[in-house]
Amino acid sequence: MDRDEILRVLSAFEASGLEYVLIGATAMGFHGLVRATEDVDLFIRATPENVERLRDAFRHAYDGDPNIDEITAADLLGDYPAVRYYPPTGDLYFDVLTRLGEAARFETVEAEIKEIAGTRVSVATPAALYRLKKGTVRPQDRVDAAALRERFSLKDEV
Amino acid sequence: MAVQRFRSIEEMNAAPRREPRGPDFERFLRHCARYWAIAPKNYPRGVFKFRTMEEAQRARDER
Repeated sequence: MDRDEILRVLSAFEASGLEYVLIGATAMGFHGLVRATEDVDLFIRATPENVERLRDAFRHAYDGDPNIDEITAADLLGDYPAVRYYPPTGDLYFDVLTRLGEAARFETVEAEIKEIAGTRVSVATPAALYRLKKGTVRPQDRVDAAALRERFSLKDEV
Repeated sequence: MAVQRFRSIEEMNAAPRREPRGPDFERFLRHCARYWAIAPKNYPRGVFKFRTMEEAQRARDER
């Protein structure tokens, strides 16, 4: 994951007015839990206007890559709530989500604003990340959930 | 103190860890850059669509 590239994308997100929240290892990195990852996971608000903002941001960051046209509101608001975009640089990829299962979507993920290199970034809170990760079957998510729980003294809600 | 000495692995594990310097996200980016240098990837290009996150994870694992 190239520093300049990710900062360029995050800056483009902010400039486009995209409503999003980072989740996954990239969000954990903002909270000081550092592990390597290949992707940037994010929820976006599921509206056609917001999908257009996402496309604008990616076009800006990736010099008008024509593949971006394949990211559509019809998919993200319809049968395909998970879209993976591999940009031309080849250094990372993006998992864009509008919903995860029945419960999780942009509106349900508590976020906070972090700043990096003058760019404001919307990042899921440690508690929100923990809630997203603790119930999954993926081993890495279990490890992440345990790390979040320990670092931030999180407790399960009853 | 750049170097700490321990008489055993237990003593080492019990020692408080020094907080790394610098912003968290910068450390994360440096860590990912090292990972990339050690294990470079060959990604496809373009957009792929999935009905569920599990489907997306399977596609990643099968790559």
